Amino acid sequence: MSEALPIARSPLRAAGPVETRSGWEVSALRSDAALRLADRTPMAKVLVRAPGGGQVAARLGVTNGSARRDEHGTLIVGSGPGDWLLLGAPGCAAELAARVEVEDDGLVSVLDYTHGRALMRLTGPAAAQTLAKLCPIDLSDRHTPDHTAFRSSVAQVATDVVRDDVDGTASYLLHCERSSGQHLFDALYDAGGEFGIEPDGFAEP
Amino acid sequence: MFQIPCPHCGLRNVAEFRHAGEQRRRPDPQTATPEEWRTYLYTQANDAGWTRETWYHRFGCRRFVGVQRHTVTNEVRPADTGPAPSVASPPAGIDAGAPDAGGGAM
Amino acid sequence: MKVPTSARRSAPPPEQICRLPVQPGELIERGQPLSFTWNGRAHTGYEGDTIASALAGSGVRIFSRSFKYHRPRGILTASGLDPGCTMQVGDEPNVRAAARRLADGMDVRPQNVWPSLRYDVGSANQLVGRFLTAGFYYKTFMKPQRLWPAYERILGGFAPGGRIPRTAEADYYDQRYAHPDVVVAGAGPAGLGAALAAAQAGARVILVEEEYELGGCLRWGDAAELALLDELRAAVDASPDIEVLVDSVVAGRYDDNWISILQRGLARVAERLIKARAKALVVAPGLIERPYVFAGNDLPGVMLGTAVRRLINLYAVRPGARAVVLSANPEGDAAVADLRRAGVEIAAVLDARRGEDVRRAVGGSGVKAVEVADGRRIECDLLVTSIGWTAPTSLLNMAGARPWYDPAAARFRPGDDLPEGVLAAGGLVGDGTVEELVAHGRAVGAAAAATAGFGAGRPPPALDVRTHPALFRASTHGMVDFTEDVSSQDILAAAAEGYDSSELVKRYTTATMGPTQGKLETVNTVAVLAEATGRRIDELGTTVWRPPYAPISLGALAGRTHEPVRHSPMQSWHEAHGAAPLIAGAWIRPDHYGDAQAEARHVREQVGIIDVTPLGKLDLRGPDVPKLLNLVYVNKWSKLEIGSVRYGVMCAEDGVVMDDGVTGRLGPERYLMSTTSSGAAAVWEHLEGWLQTEHPDWAVHIAPLTTYYASINVAGPHSRELLARITEGVDLSPDAFPYMRVRTGRIAGVDECLMWRIGFTGELSYELHVPASYGVHVWQALLERGADLGTAAFGVEAQRILRLEKGHLIVAQDTDGLTKPYEAGLGTLVKLDKDDLVGRPELVWQQQLGEQQRLVALQPEDGSIVPAEASQIVRGTAIVGRITSSRFSPTLDRSVCLGTVEVALAEPGSVVTVLLPDARRIRATVMPELAHVDPEGRRLRV
Repeated sequence: MSEALPIARSPLRAAGPVETRSGWEVSALRSDAALRLADRTPMAKVLVRAPGGGQVAARLGVTNGSARRDEHGTLIVGSGPGDWLLLGAPGCAAELAARVEVEDDGLVSVLDYTHGRALMRLTGPAAAQTLAKLCPIDLSDRHTPDHTAFRSSVAQVATDVVRDDVDGTASYLLHCERSSGQHLFDALYDAGGEFGIEPDGFAEP
Repeated sequence: MFQIPCPHCGLRNVAEFRHAGEQRRRPDPQTATPEEWRTYLYTQANDAGWTRETWYHRFGCRRFVGVQRHTVTNEVRPADTGPAPSVASPPAGIDAGAPDAGGGAM
Repeated sequence: MKVPTSARRSAPPPEQICRLPVQPGELIERGQPLSFTWNGRAHTGYEGDTIASALAGSGVRIFSRSFKYHRPRGILTASGLDPGCTMQVGDEPNVRAAARRLADGMDVRPQNVWPSLRYDVGSANQLVGRFLTAGFYYKTFMKPQRLWPAYERILGGFAPGGRIPRTAEADYYDQRYAHPDVVVAGAGPAGLGAALAAAQAGARVILVEEEYELGGCLRWGDAAELALLDELRAAVDASPDIEVLVDSVVAGRYDDNWISILQRGLARVAERLIKARAKALVVAPGLIERPYVFAGNDLPGVMLGTAVRRLINLYAVRPGARAVVLSANPEGDAAVADLRRAGVEIAAVLDARRGEDVRRAVGGSGVKAVEVADGRRIECDLLVTSIGWTAPTSLLNMAGARPWYDPAAARFRPGDDLPEGVLAAGGLVGDGTVEELVAHGRAVGAAAAATAGFGAGRPPPALDVRTHPALFRASTHGMVDFTEDVSSQDILAAAAEGYDSSELVKRYTTATMGPTQGKLETVNTVAVLAEATGRRIDELGTTVWRPPYAPISLGALAGRTHEPVRHSPMQSWHEAHGAAPLIAGAWIRPDHYGDAQAEARHVREQVGIIDVTPLGKLDLRGPDVPKLLNLVYVNKWSKLEIGSVRYGVMCAEDGVVMDDGVTGRLGPERYLMSTTSSGAAAVWEHLEGWLQTEHPDWAVHIAPLTTYYASINVAGPHSRELLARITEGVDLSPDAFPYMRVRTGRIAGVDECLMWRIGFTGELSYELHVPASYGVHVWQALLERGADLGTAAFGVEAQRILRLEKGHLIVAQDTDGLTKPYEAGLGTLVKLDKDDLVGRPELVWQQQLGEQQRLVALQPEDGSIVPAEASQIVRGTAIVGRITSSRFSPTLDRSVCLGTVEVALAEPGSVVTVLLPDARRIRATVMPELAHVDPEGRRLRV
């Protein structure tokens, strides 16, 4: 028995017309508003846990609290002491996991979290002001420059926040447990109202 | 709202943490007398002054963090030792916002 | 208030008879007249007016009626503290009209008046005032208790609040967090200096001013002071590191400089609460002028010196025609000069520094004359008093500092017991010229910046404190608290009754409990109490100042509510198919789709599917997982084979059941633990706690997977056939995939799906865990491919019926905070021959003692009665147990229950009495097994 590959669906309601990209149903909207909120759930998300000073840690090359893009375009986020979050193109979770495989480094675990998490991106000059309504962390450049990562409460949801500016415009990736994703999206959208926020469709990264 | 210096995340609002109680030693479960065990379970020193406590950073790194806190002023210092010797079990149903926690009647 | 007739509404607005020619510092824009109505009648004012200044400009003198005695009240302070200027504006009650800018079209009405402002029935209370003295709430409205509903209505009528129409639209209230280096509270000369100096040092500053403009007292100063204000304002404007918030207030200071700021005057937001974490707080509110206590001190026409200076200089309003001024300080003398310049006839200046004093103000609806201490009677319509100051130390007190009374200065002063990061500047600290105040502010601002890590601040210079005569009460009695209508006589009466401390007098008389929260009243209250008790003010001290510093709307405090709501991937399907929502913690779940009894019957007869996504799921990896399982579960885990699952019960250290669930072994070092839905977070923290604090050497990684999977339970006699149609790669035959096993395979084209063969419902059933993004796909595939098998969805209620028929307990429903495993029928699981086990000593003692209560299945003799859950099981008048779960069983066509009873009554066949909530007593029989249906378990092992 075989059938057509099923379509994956994000926990976030798609805004506007939808299309299928890499096996996911995604919004086909394109917004050029000054402040945009977009669903990035289809991105591959891999959780890595490994000893802090080991080979895996060295290979990943970032420590807790910061993020970097590697030569494959994967965003490697130091998301906690001894844990990392890898964000890559849709469908590449197995490839990301394979890159981490290491011989003998104590207990290392690699989990594909793609389906267990919601991911969204908030972009625009007012992104920090919007996020500051929901998140108690200091978002100023002084304290939270580009490629800073932290986990805190955003709208009462434990959220990994990664500052990942796009062409010099402030942008944040927000990553949370899947079932709370719509709540987080709605809260961000409400907070961005005074800055003219609009939903945007799917694009990478 | 006072702040707690998390060794992994930096200074964070106390609202991100769950209080896991005063640090205390768990008696040997093979030999403990009822008095010893129930003192461990139920008795807190509750000093007006500096105490050693454990907090769980549930909105952050999810590590149990040992600190010293002045119970009168809420001044908090990093503990010079590691995590507490023991923690009490969290109360049931404290799921609000904790990622991937369940929630519900069954 | 009745709506006025259209004839009155169309009457021409009164002339602005009290407006003066252009004043140098005036805030009004004479080119921009505004129209509004007052009490239904058309009025005019100017852009830049407050509501109160516009009314005063038209000669209005009575603004409100007082709370208790309904005495007429007018302008007293002309500031946000003005007790007589609380008004209803459109839908909004309790607007502080002397601090709210006038806007075109405002519908302004007085509060607390009936039938009208001029002829107020309640003012008869003045005649019966002896019934409304100190403690009147306690004395008058206590007994008899049966009259309380009537008293409540009467007291409600006294409440000075306005009205909120039921149709009023909810405004948008906002919140945000901020992380300034320095917050400066107050933008007078010292606050401006502090903000500038801190910013120059490199600090990011939030400068908060309660009024609409920066400058404080500089605004009503002379030409030199106005020039200084222009200079300071330009410097603030030019500083990008100073965020200026006007019409805003620092409402509270909490631990670690957590500072709440209420921001107003925003475009699309009614109010915004800013939660600022500041490295340093500079408190620079200046001084508040204190009213004087004498007979008639609340008559319209009695004003403070600063009030007339505000009216004349900021709004070009002449506050009266003929004035008597009582002055004890240079500011009072400046008020005399301002009045002269405004063309007010000065009938007399009484110099309190030379012992001159007033005795009483005389008049009905306003001042007509003043009786002076020397016996003179002077006709006038305005009595101005400048008799002293109060230092508003509230924010410092919130930081833990206690004010102390300085008799030479005749005011409380801030203590020097301030925590690091909290500094006081300007008039709050001492007296000086405006230049000295600015300099002091600059020095304090630099010190604040240094605290925040910018520059090297030096200790700020001391400000001199000038001596001031101590004036609180004249020879007559008058109002001490204007908003609460508490007089000096009330305080004497309270003291005579034994309420002889500041805190007691406050609670007994309600003095200082009104909207101004004591900023006008506290010191006079303490002074009168000191006089009554023969003690000194410094002995009595003040009451404790608590947040908020200024009134805050409930909307701002509520702000945006962020209460997470959690949905399963199949939520859209449930909604589209009429599911009744069940709110379970943060989760929204389908309770039923119309008929839970039919859904339950359907599962027993055919096949049903239920969304169980909220079930807690934890991925456990590492070589030491069996050690962890042995520690946290009461049973043994060392020999669980790959592909098998086992039921486990967790106890806390007190030996009480805390959670249960099944755990399966998926690989050599890989396990999946399931928990109850409500226990998912607590169990995760519990496991992390044991690993991190007691066994950091164990190699185990825990990852929450609850919402990684959409979880679907497929239950019923046809479930195997249904699964066979959409499963690939798994042999479903009973021999290859028996009860209590786990397999991984492809379901409806989705790889890496887990299948557990377990049976909460008592039927042949499989729990599917599908990567969540494909949840809806698999759910729909099950329904479509199983249509001919009768596949239908069932909800949580049907599952509760089915599990009760089967006698499966639910932790926290059939157990409580004291239930031991032995009492819940779980004793056989407990294995005490392990090195360690959470709660082990308690479990050992429990086993030795034997159980007191036991969980049993019960069936009422009358099967049509379903006893409410928590019904008591009684023997005579003694409670011997309770019903923990009860439902009508569609399978048995009768009611079925679980309950706990004393061990003596727990034998099968014993009959117990159940006391129903309606007081009926019914009989119920204890059953031989917990399971009412299929106790042998034949149905689930097929």
